[in-house]
Amino acid sequence: MPQVQSESSSESAVQPLLQQFQLLFYISKIAGILPQDLEKFRTKNVLEKSRNGMVYMLAMLIVYVLLYNVLIYSFGEEDRTLKASQSTLTFVIGLFLTYIGLIMMGTDQLTALRNQGRIGELYERIRQVDERLYREKCVVDNSRIGGRIRFMLIMTFLFELSILLATYIKLVDYTQWMSVLWIVSAIPTFINTLDKIWFAVSLYALKERFEAINQTLEELVATHEKFKRWLCGDQETSSRALDSSQPPEYDSNLEYLYKELGSLDMGSLKGSGRNKVAPVSHSMNSFGESIEASDKATHQAPPISVNMAHESELSNASKVEEKLNNLCQVHDEICEIGKAMNELWSYPILSLMAYGFLIFTAQLYFLYCATQFQSIPSLFRSAKNPFITVIALSYTSGKCVYLIYLSWKTSLASKRTGISLHKCGVVADDNLLFEIVNHLSLKLLNHSVDFSACGFFTLDMETLYGVSGGITSYLIILIQFNLAAQQAKEAIQTFNSLNDTASLVGAATEVDNVSSTLYDLVTTTMLTPTG
Amino acid sequence: MIQIMNWFSMAIGLIPLNRQESQSNVVLDYAMMSLVPVFYLGCYFLINLRHVFGLCFLDSCNSVCRLSNTLFMHLGAFLYLTVTLMSLYRRKEFFLQFDERLNAIDAVIQKCRRVAEMDRVKVTAVKHSVAYHFTWLFLFCVFAFALYYDIRALYLTFGNYAFIPFMVSSFPYLAGSIIQGEFIYHVSVISQRFEQINTLFEKINQEARHRHAPLTVFDIESEGKKQERKNLTPATAMDARTATFGNEQKLSGEMKRQTPQKNEEDEMDTSNDEDEDDFDYDNATIAENTGNTSEANLPDLFKLHDKILSLSVITNREFGPQCVPYMAACFVVSIFGIFLETKVNFIVSGKSRLLDYVTYLYVIWSFTTMVVAYIVLRLCCNANNHSKQSAMIVHEIMQKKPAFMLSNDLFYNKMKSFTLQFLHWEGYFQFNGIGLFALDYTFIFSTVSAATSYLIVLLQFDMTAILRNEGLMS
Repeated sequence: MPQVQSESSSESAVQPLLQQFQLLFYISKIAGILPQDLEKFRTKNVLEKSRNGMVYMLAMLIVYVLLYNVLIYSFGEEDRTLKASQSTLTFVIGLFLTYIGLIMMGTDQLTALRNQGRIGELYERIRQVDERLYREKCVVDNSRIGGRIRFMLIMTFLFELSILLATYIKLVDYTQWMSVLWIVSAIPTFINTLDKIWFAVSLYALKERFEAINQTLEELVATHEKFKRWLCGDQETSSRALDSSQPPEYDSNLEYLYKELGSLDMGSLKGSGRNKVAPVSHSMNSFGESIEASDKATHQAPPISVNMAHESELSNASKVEEKLNNLCQVHDEICEIGKAMNELWSYPILSLMAYGFLIFTAQLYFLYCATQFQSIPSLFRSAKNPFITVIALSYTSGKCVYLIYLSWKTSLASKRTGISLHKCGVVADDNLLFEIVNHLSLKLLNHSVDFSACGFFTLDMETLYGVSGGITSYLIILIQFNLAAQQAKEAIQTFNSLNDTASLVGAATEVDNVSSTLYDLVTTTMLTPTG
Repeated sequence: MIQIMNWFSMAIGLIPLNRQESQSNVVLDYAMMSLVPVFYLGCYFLINLRHVFGLCFLDSCNSVCRLSNTLFMHLGAFLYLTVTLMSLYRRKEFFLQFDERLNAIDAVIQKCRRVAEMDRVKVTAVKHSVAYHFTWLFLFCVFAFALYYDIRALYLTFGNYAFIPFMVSSFPYLAGSIIQGEFIYHVSVISQRFEQINTLFEKINQEARHRHAPLTVFDIESEGKKQERKNLTPATAMDARTATFGNEQKLSGEMKRQTPQKNEEDEMDTSNDEDEDDFDYDNATIAENTGNTSEANLPDLFKLHDKILSLSVITNREFGPQCVPYMAACFVVSIFGIFLETKVNFIVSGKSRLLDYVTYLYVIWSFTTMVVAYIVLRLCCNANNHSKQSAMIVHEIMQKKPAFMLSNDLFYNKMKSFTLQFLHWEGYFQFNGIGLFALDYTFIFSTVSAATSYLIVLLQFDMTAILRNEGLMS
């Protein structure tokens, strides 16, 4: 349907990207992630500031924080009894990570409040880019984005529900009514995921824009190649009279060549610009191999090549200069939008990456502790079951990895434009065009879009490689300390039992000596991790 | 050797049968590719679910042996399954596409060689160096030894059923290595093409050097500038062109007058005139006029470079993901190999035959996989360097200001465009494993440093208590 709409008029040709975000917007509005005005969005598809939304969002944030604190308090009861028995390492890690989910959620919501005006601008800029692209006969299809959002939402619900239900049924004592509070534990991750879906889908849209530009450039190359082949064929069949000393460069304009050729087709071509169908069909018959490809081209971009399949735009340097210039400017604009978007979401992404790294390590460590029958903090009880741990880990890592992967791919797509641009120059083989291409290519080299988390690290796959190495080495170190602590604890227990037997014997003065030496021994084993 | 490797990988179902034919029976092609994984899975589940034929279920297998054997088996399963799934996903299209593009590239290279008169100098058949044969022989010996060792030990333990534990112990690593071998083969083909292009570029470069001195004497530069000025005047495109051609004619005439006086070096060029008629480049006229043949290749060479780079992008997209599990498996096996060797085998070697077998298996496969990984990295690095060298040579040509460049702006712009495009390529592509790591020598450095820190941590584990419990140490 959007295609039909877009053909009818050029002004309202491009369908705004935000139209696809409706479902996501409603859900995030209810959950209190975005403060923007609901009514404006429904009627005009724009994100605008709204005071009521802000109040609602702040209220939701406070409610979440309170509920989460109640949860920590009520489940902390179990921890208090365990504190004495468990090792300090596990306890400290648990303490550190108690609030990390809440911090992440708070960062998301506060950043959304701060950005509430600017997000709307961002999508407006994307819409303008779409219009400019449309003017360059390069239509971006937004319709698949809606499906993507739906898929992501379904995945989020599936993961959250499965983790929540499995943990609730297997690991929470659901006879008490306080256990219902466990549901609150899923809120921070859920809200964070919704916020990240906004980022991910917008990033994906940018990537599609880059790819559309690349596609347009490659299509230019393809049509020009076909055009050249057609011209060569025409030379062979219709005009043997062409001098071999004539330069076979078809650069400046077609008219010149047609004059030289003096073939039958020329008359119909030169007579009227509208009557270009005839030579096309003629050439198609003699060189049938190009029919399929050109058909594809006409389907993809109906306005351009309906009636002139063999007139390449690349053969007209001044015309194509404008087009290439425009495409480069659009490319620059998309890069700028990417940077702006990265800036808007920089703190949430940083907090998400920190959360992902810490939770991944901690969850694996607690899984190890659980297999050794040690007690673990009650908030991380999902680590008691390996199956739930696997789901939770794949959920968290899936979020982080998808964002990193998408940023990497977008960055690559933006770099690819330069290569496609040069292909245009090479295939046209025209001096003027080469100068344009060289000039624009230098410009493109300087536009680069690299996504980073607050500038701490770039979001590309190499970071992922580094992070996975970090997680493993920290995990090994943690396990080693845990082993050492276990050995120390065993030593204390043996010491205690020794002490008991000694007191039973009743030699008070000797016991003191023995206990002090033993105490020394125990402290040394505790302080030096034997591994 | 390549043929043997291809046959072997077809036999164990890693690449489709008849991969070079587009029309063939689908069932026949993929029969082996699906049978072998099913057989592997059968063996894997037989051992893990029924607890028979597994090394770790023997009585003489102690806890260290059991742990290391289980790790080896599951790591192998991870490696084999990921690699096989990706191979199944790849299908035949890749090989067809690769061959098609390679043929196109070869055709153009042949044409360029004919133009550049390289055919007579050099035979077309690729001659491999001693190092090439030595590498193949070495690899063959290493693999033969690894397989022989494993099969012999398993045969002694299990008798005729040895093939079942073999499927889960050594086979996955063998399959992974062979897929890497395919990768090596494809990359080496690409690297070869880059080399051929570079020799062609180098030829142009040398010719430019020879021509440089005499031509400047005759003030070509000022001529070129004049022409440039003419180009810049806001005349119509047609006028500019005729002006250019007039200029060129004049220029070439001048040069032809000079050629006999110049020196003997040009003799080989003048003898080429017969060949020049059968190529139809856009700038054939220029080449003809100057009597200089090879630079007519430049546009084709630029296109070739671009094509080969896109070919490497495709190859990397197919094989890069398979590199990741292989490198990971290689890393883990090497670390545990060193660990077991130093902490277990040094202390209690010879006490238990099975334990010795497992530790040596680790060492052998860590060595084998490391060799293969090194060759992969080396070839990828080579291909990268070769492609970089082309840009360097083109810059060198530009610096020498050869006649063909000064007489025609188009050539200058083309060369500039090529080098700029290469800059874009450099930012866009490098052989990599789905972006996680670049496949070059920096990867070795990063893995070695990571391995060191893991080893330091691992070597602190106190094994003596465990070994004592197993009765291996007094």
